[in-house]
Amino acid sequence: MALKNPGGAFINWLAQTFLFLRQNRQAQLVFFFSLIVFPLIVFVVAVVLPVAKNPFEESNEENIKDNTEAFPDSTPAEIVTSRRELAQRMASLEVDQAFFQARLQLVKRDSINLAVDLIDSVVALEVKGVPMRRCKILRYRSSGLVKRLRSQGRLHQWLSTPFVLQEELATLPKAPIRIKEAPRDTIEANESKGEDLPIEQRDAEFTLHFDRSLTLVVEQAQPPSFAGRLRKIWYDLRRTFGAAGDAVAALIHRQIPQHRLWIEIELPREDAKAIYRALPPHAGLALRL
Amino acid sequence: MARAIARVHHNSAIMNDTATNNSQNFSSLSGQPPRLRRTTGAERAAAAGQGAAGKALWSGISLGLLLSIITLIFAPVWREWMFAILPESKFAMQLRTTDVKKLQKEAQRLEKRVAGLRKKYEWITPRAPYLIVDTSENRIHVMRGDEPLHEGVCSTGSYILLKAADQRQWIFQTPRGMFQIRGKKEYPVWKKPDWAFIEDGLPVPSPNAPERFEYGVLGEYALELGDGYLIHGTLYKRMLGMPVTHGCVRLGDEDLRVVYKNLQIGSKVFIY
Repeated sequence: MALKNPGGAFINWLAQTFLFLRQNRQAQLVFFFSLIVFPLIVFVVAVVLPVAKNPFEESNEENIKDNTEAFPDSTPAEIVTSRRELAQRMASLEVDQAFFQARLQLVKRDSINLAVDLIDSVVALEVKGVPMRRCKILRYRSSGLVKRLRSQGRLHQWLSTPFVLQEELATLPKAPIRIKEAPRDTIEANESKGEDLPIEQRDAEFTLHFDRSLTLVVEQAQPPSFAGRLRKIWYDLRRTFGAAGDAVAALIHRQIPQHRLWIEIELPREDAKAIYRALPPHAGLALRL
Repeated sequence: MARAIARVHHNSAIMNDTATNNSQNFSSLSGQPPRLRRTTGAERAAAAGQGAAGKALWSGISLGLLLSIITLIFAPVWREWMFAILPESKFAMQLRTTDVKKLQKEAQRLEKRVAGLRKKYEWITPRAPYLIVDTSENRIHVMRGDEPLHEGVCSTGSYILLKAADQRQWIFQTPRGMFQIRGKKEYPVWKKPDWAFIEDGLPVPSPNAPERFEYGVLGEYALELGDGYLIHGTLYKRMLGMPVTHGCVRLGDEDLRVVYKNLQIGSKVFIY
């Protein structure tokens, strides 16, 4: 019977397990409070406090001074529209300025860097300011916090210096190294020369964690192979539990876990692979969004 | 009958009391634990209540810990939802622009500054021809500024880690980054390094032994990048487009001719 109706069997098991709660008011109260106390603490510390105390939401009260003299012949509604348009233009120029400033700072570095321009939908691998590979972003999504920062016109403060790569996670190895033992004689060497070269058909999905709480997630546009799907499951698990692990580590050190501002972009597989393989440790990133 | 039953109960009660007294006396003498007294219904109910409360506590804590872990795993998603539902900060964009006159001037200044930065950035790209090598797809691009002059196929490092019997090892990888052409040679001669002999299962000769020098294997031209890395030709043209080299960049004859003609000593080579 249990096999025929496993759901019912589970409910029966639950009912038997919690039978002692029946008609016992004290047990019910104890159960309820002991059930909610830990999740509530975790929710407050890992969800509410990081949102309430996120470093991006600092007040900026300068420029709050009413001045409608610039529009003497306009109606209040027109003034509001003009203000908003001007604010948007200013914000976009400030972001452009921050992007070029960050890229010019990256020129001073010898290593390969990344420039991600979400407005023009372009990603570029650069060395010393020279774009070596440019690729089109097919689709992107970003954290709700980005939208909030944009609406406040405060993105440029965060973007004006390059981000530095701290940690990476991927479905493909950084370098496809194959180990070969040296042959003992010419006969063995000739035998190994006849071996076919393996053609690498790896899917490329990766996550780059930068400083200043930025995470860049790169996904390939093509659907993954079967092996690629399995690797993707493992990669997703590592990503999810990695984030939970970071939160636990922060709690152990009596710190509030930080909310990471994420950007997810979709690229063709070959572009994603080339970018991941080319980026050195501590690569820089200039961002325009 | 009823009197007889009452007498039996009375006797058993007396016996119980006597037993209790005896056990108390006995325990006080010997230090052994007292025997349990028969409990009443109310006491049994209270004990059952305590047991249920204990069970409830531990079940609640266990399930609560499980829920905490789930909350922790989904915390980033919760936070995103909270950012979505929370009202905008009071310092929103339209408030920033209240000093309109000042901001209009600032916007004009900013426009000029951004145009200047853009120009400055564009000037960084070399005006002289330079080479880009894509090790991921094994392709080359000869460029001048943003303009492509020539595109072709190449072969780059195989990523093989060769382990010799004497514990030495080499990784055949093309280095990435910015390089400069340090030298140009026509009809170069290859001085075979140790790994070339070890890879072929041959004994390693002395540093200047004649068998180290091979003629014609590097094609018509070679361009030096430093640290022994070269851009050169190849006899194995069917391997072009594949990662098969020991770190050098191999080109076909026609591509090599274009690269040799366009790049001078000091020209930049970008490898990624």
